[in-house]
Amino acid sequence: MAETMVRLRGIHKRFGELEVLKGVDLDVGRGEVVCVLGPSGSGKSTLLRCVNLLEPPERGEIFLEGHDICKGPNSGTGEQSWELNFVRQRVGIVFQQFNLFPHRTALQNVTMAPEKVLGRSRAEARAKASELLERVGLGDKVDQYPERLSGGQQQRVAIARALAMDPHVMLFDEVTSALDPELVKEVLDTMRELASEGMTMIVVTHELGFAREVADRVVFMDGGVIVEQGPPAQVLDEPREERTKRFLGLVLDR
Amino acid sequence: MSEFFHQYFDFNYMGEHFWEVLEAFLQNVLIFTVVAVLALIWGLVLALLRQLPGKKFLPIRFLTIAYIDLFRAIPILIVILLISGGVPFLEFIPKEIRIPHWLGKPDPFWYGVVALMLVYGAFTAEVYRAGIEGVPGGQMEAARSLGMSHWQAMRNVVVPQAVTLIPAPMLNELISLLKDSTLVSVIAFGESVLISRELLAQSFNSSALTLTAIFFILIILPMARIVDKLIARNQGRIARGSHMEVA
Amino acid sequence: MKSKSPLTALLAALAALGVAIFAAGCGGGNDETSGGGGGGEVLTVGSDIPYPPFEQGKPGNYTGFDIELMEAIAEKIGRTAEFQDTSFETIFRDVAQGKFDAVISAATITEEREKAVDFSNPYYLSEQAVLVKEGGSIESLEELDGKTVGVQQGTTGQELAKEKLPNSEIRPFPEGPDAVNALKAGTVEGVVIDAPVAANAVEKSGGVEIAEKVPTEEEYGIAVAQGETELLDEINQGLKEVEDDGTYKTIYEKWFKLAPPQAIFSASHAAE
Repeated sequence: MAETMVRLRGIHKRFGELEVLKGVDLDVGRGEVVCVLGPSGSGKSTLLRCVNLLEPPERGEIFLEGHDICKGPNSGTGEQSWELNFVRQRVGIVFQQFNLFPHRTALQNVTMAPEKVLGRSRAEARAKASELLERVGLGDKVDQYPERLSGGQQQRVAIARALAMDPHVMLFDEVTSALDPELVKEVLDTMRELASEGMTMIVVTHELGFAREVADRVVFMDGGVIVEQGPPAQVLDEPREERTKRFLGLVLDR
Repeated sequence: MSEFFHQYFDFNYMGEHFWEVLEAFLQNVLIFTVVAVLALIWGLVLALLRQLPGKKFLPIRFLTIAYIDLFRAIPILIVILLISGGVPFLEFIPKEIRIPHWLGKPDPFWYGVVALMLVYGAFTAEVYRAGIEGVPGGQMEAARSLGMSHWQAMRNVVVPQAVTLIPAPMLNELISLLKDSTLVSVIAFGESVLISRELLAQSFNSSALTLTAIFFILIILPMARIVDKLIARNQGRIARGSHMEVA
Repeated sequence: MKSKSPLTALLAALAALGVAIFAAGCGGGNDETSGGGGGGEVLTVGSDIPYPPFEQGKPGNYTGFDIELMEAIAEKIGRTAEFQDTSFETIFRDVAQGKFDAVISAATITEEREKAVDFSNPYYLSEQAVLVKEGGSIESLEELDGKTVGVQQGTTGQELAKEKLPNSEIRPFPEGPDAVNALKAGTVEGVVIDAPVAANAVEKSGGVEIAEKVPTEEEYGIAVAQGETELLDEINQGLKEVEDDGTYKTIYEKWFKLAPPQAIFSASHAAE
């Protein structure tokens, strides 16, 4: 059985009065690609951001490669009780808004963390960064500033930037939602390739086509809980739950 | 009407007292320079303290915010009067510090400098904060997600971007500071307003005040123009889909 | 939508507060100059308040030797005195420009000032005093040379200090009491100021004593704008009557706890 990379148990999260996650359990195995779908407000982004502790949960447990990274969340929500360093160097994330560093070139965006956090030498970091940017198809853009790149190109730089840290898990938070339609494909292609290389990925997305082709498992969330999950063919074509049917009906009718 | 001109625009009078008033005006510039340096540093310290993350640092953040609120609220004149009126009575402080005559400057100079520094430290802290908060939150998130510590993220990602947002409003604060240096006149320090009023008392003519005003205008107008240019340049950047705006 | 109601409530409260303050402010207004000099009931009088024991107190409630004397004189000439607080360094220019009808402010009659205003007959004989901290070692004006000395801006005390203390830093304060406070705080080592004001400070605030009195033979006068001869005559007449009928003596004794010196009566009558 494939090792469980990420295990979430009983995740609860609230923002002020609003409870956004109402008890979520999820396992993701090594090399698995899990796509998370659901309407806005369903908590899917929040769940993703729990995995790298950007949004620490109030209650629940998170295991990363078997390590408990929460250390008893009930005892407090101070950052010191979380194994942040362990987490953030093993989990990469790509954001909907790209969040590239505008005051740095594409290459520098990719080398910054390896140099500052992993202590790699400048030469080493640059070599790796160039290679990664080549891989995502931007070898000729290494010295460009983000403002000169299209949305799709920026997002691919963001992927390269996350990969530079040699993560074991990659999180994708609606990474194509902010893109013009003609730029979406290039990013999905990059992600597809990443999946085929065996990366463990959790992808929050609206791209059903991508989910169908690339995902090993599709998870449907609504109202802070997982409604159903299973192989893409099952969830997308023969959903069992009413809510799933309704959501898919709405999405497909677009 | 001609009486009005004689009172305020007696150029002969201005000529006679030109160097006297200029020398006094340089005292304002001196106060400004000393306080500007101190307040820029102190304000940065305050701004950074205010940013310290996590529950552990809550008391520090609270104190910092309380300090900033306090000195934004109390009129500068009152601060000056309280310090110069009260500090000398704090017997437990040694006299050299309580009634300072450092570097040849009399105690009202130093009371004024301290008062202005306390207040403008709060103002500059707010400018730094606006700069830091003007950087989109996603930048910090991205940096932290890559494994950078809070300080690494600040130093490498947030502050370099905040720095471009700071000069224009900061220069505005400095302009206010230069004008507020005149407040030290109430505790009898010989800067330009005090000297002008002295001349007024002696000769019943206000032209020295007008001359003082002219000096201020000559220095401040160019500064104000620079502010305008900086603001326009940032706007231009944003309009052209800049560097500053991340998609 | 929800956030709108607290905001409108706040704005309404601020508006109500503004109206209330405005209404309250309109009620006060007892130091407004009324129009016109001769012929009207009100006599507007400028004075640099506080300068105890000559003038002190709050708007609408001023007291002091000058205040009571002026009120008595005004009554004699069929007018009502209304006082306006103003700063000393502009006071002569202000009365010269007609901002008020007259000035009574422990103001010494000097040649310099007579270039801008006309003075009444002298109503008070004064001199300067040197105030120092109690129990200190300074015993005379000369000993203050080279030290920091406080004075009030625009006064004869300031002139005396400048003249006699060439090596001192002379610090000009906007108000007399500020100089006394600085002395008590220790930021100045001496204060040169009108003798009666100094005596008042010794008595009322404590911690200070008079080191020396410098007889400068100063005379205080009431100032009016140049050319206002009719008003000046009236004031002089009023002053004479107040002196003659004993009112002057009563007011003097009240504020200085001494009988007025004979010299003042001769001074004011001699000037006629």
